[in-house]
Amino acid sequence: MIVKNLIGALTIGSVYALLALGYSLIYQASGLMTFVQGDLFMLGAVVGLALYAYLKIPFIIAFVLTIIGMFFFGLLIEKCVIRILLKKEAAVIYVVLSTIALSIMLQNFVMLVWGSQLLFFPPIFAVSNIKIGSVSIIPESLMGFGMALVSMLLLHIFINKSKFGTAMRAAAQDPMAAATMGIDVSKTTSITWGISAALAGVAGLIFSPIYAASFVMGVSPGLKGFAGAVIGGYGNMYGAIVGSLFLSLTETFVAGYISSGYKDFISFFILILILFIKPRGIFNADVLGD
Amino acid sequence: MSNTNKRYFYFLLILIAGLLPVVFHDQIFLIMLMYSSAIYTIAVSGLDILFGYSGQISIGHAAFYGIGAYTSAILSTRLGITPWITMLLGGILAVIFAVLIAIPAVKLVHHFLVLVTIGFGQIFYTFVGNAKQLTNGHTGIMNIPYFKIGSFSFNTMISYFYVAFFIMLMFLFIKHKIIKSRIGRAFIAIRENPTSANSSGINVRYYKIMAFAISAFYTGIAGAMYAHFTNYISPSTFTFSQSIIFFVMLLVGGKGSLFGPIVGVVTLTVVLQYLQALSQYQSLAYGAILLFTVLFLPQGIVGSVFISPKKYFISKKAV
Repeated sequence: MIVKNLIGALTIGSVYALLALGYSLIYQASGLMTFVQGDLFMLGAVVGLALYAYLKIPFIIAFVLTIIGMFFFGLLIEKCVIRILLKKEAAVIYVVLSTIALSIMLQNFVMLVWGSQLLFFPPIFAVSNIKIGSVSIIPESLMGFGMALVSMLLLHIFINKSKFGTAMRAAAQDPMAAATMGIDVSKTTSITWGISAALAGVAGLIFSPIYAASFVMGVSPGLKGFAGAVIGGYGNMYGAIVGSLFLSLTETFVAGYISSGYKDFISFFILILILFIKPRGIFNADVLGD
Repeated sequence: MSNTNKRYFYFLLILIAGLLPVVFHDQIFLIMLMYSSAIYTIAVSGLDILFGYSGQISIGHAAFYGIGAYTSAILSTRLGITPWITMLLGGILAVIFAVLIAIPAVKLVHHFLVLVTIGFGQIFYTFVGNAKQLTNGHTGIMNIPYFKIGSFSFNTMISYFYVAFFIMLMFLFIKHKIIKSRIGRAFIAIRENPTSANSSGINVRYYKIMAFAISAFYTGIAGAMYAHFTNYISPSTFTFSQSIIFFVMLLVGGKGSLFGPIVGVVTLTVVLQYLQALSQYQSLAYGAILLFTVLFLPQGIVGSVFISPKKYFISKKAV
């Protein structure tokens, strides 16, 4: 029983972690908050579903196509909405509001096109169960967890070891200094948004083969990913992962042993508690204003 | 126009608005739109005090709307207390929660404040949905009593309108007074530049919390009125979407003004009626309106139309 809960928690945790990474990356790179990650997560899921289930494209290819598509969609959002507002020197809150608006539009667009019912993924593997010891696991769960690990690893390598990744980190730390070093800051910002969208897409394809997709699937995970990012220290990549796992473990065990109705309540309660008591999160991000 | 002329103008407006339902007394639908606009105006004016004047965002105001509604509903149905008092208590409870949240929250960078308000909204929604003993969960509370004075019961749409209209005028007047006072100037100073407000001797935290409190009171009262007019409430009214609706109304109408909320409420109510026909597209339209307003009309209708041409060309910033 515990093992089953643990596996569920890890799967959901990786979903939250990928979303949280997106939030932290964007905040780190541009100081902006976005509320559209959850809906990008949803978009990745339904697009992947369309490719795999309706167009019958093999899963691996559907996956890659979706991720690439999400990446470009992220770039599109940055170019068409965010950049316009930044150029107008709009107050940050307007950027936040624009992402909320996008979130609403995405959800409704998907609802109109895909319908409002739950959309199920056809099984990806030939077996429906893998037994490890005495526990049976859905193979999609393992796949999901693997995809999350690989994505995070790739991201880590890219950000830390590649030239462009280093440029991104520099631009995040100090845009003006980076610009004087010849780094194209608007390019790094765009790419950051693209990567965040792609990560959300991966998360969508981890979640939906196991739990199905729907146009509202992004609302709760989006907020919880946010919570995970805050708990770990907003803007800190590793914090995002740690914070999300912490959240998912707490959530799963509360649901398992106390009550599942209050599952959401607990997550938001923890979020608010952390914001009040230790807003800097686990890894001490820079969040106090006033 | 001169101050006296302005006063005559407002008086005329109020007279016209007040007489409309009498003239059109058989257009039930119009009257319903009018009273619901009055309620929304109070709620959105509250949000304006918080966002338009003191510059703090809340996308969780549906929670205060709900606290007012549920408190009033529960107290009047279970304890038989008269709705006028339970409405007041609803507003007060909303204030208490607002202060509890604001005390720790106002020191956060403002995007975290947004998160707190969203979180609070979600917590409220989850709570009223699950606390069956207290709130009947998702079944909702029925048979909420009407407002009464003596033996006269406010149980027709026209009567709803007049209650709401009268209270709305009162609240708008109070808002006007607050804004013209020291408190209002403190809010505006904080909105423009908290650091310099602080160094001018304004206790920023205190005023931020006050803004939250006043804002919650307005919205809570509006919620209570809603409960006593529709006689039935359930958690589904008090969702994140509702909070967004309040915000869009404020933004579209124009924040930081007395008329902005009214214009925003009326505009959106009218627009949404037209969209009823395309019911599925309603929410999409909301999102599009919000996006459009944020990108191109951040000052709202009142802010853009009533700004003098010179001011328009000087201020290119979206503030």
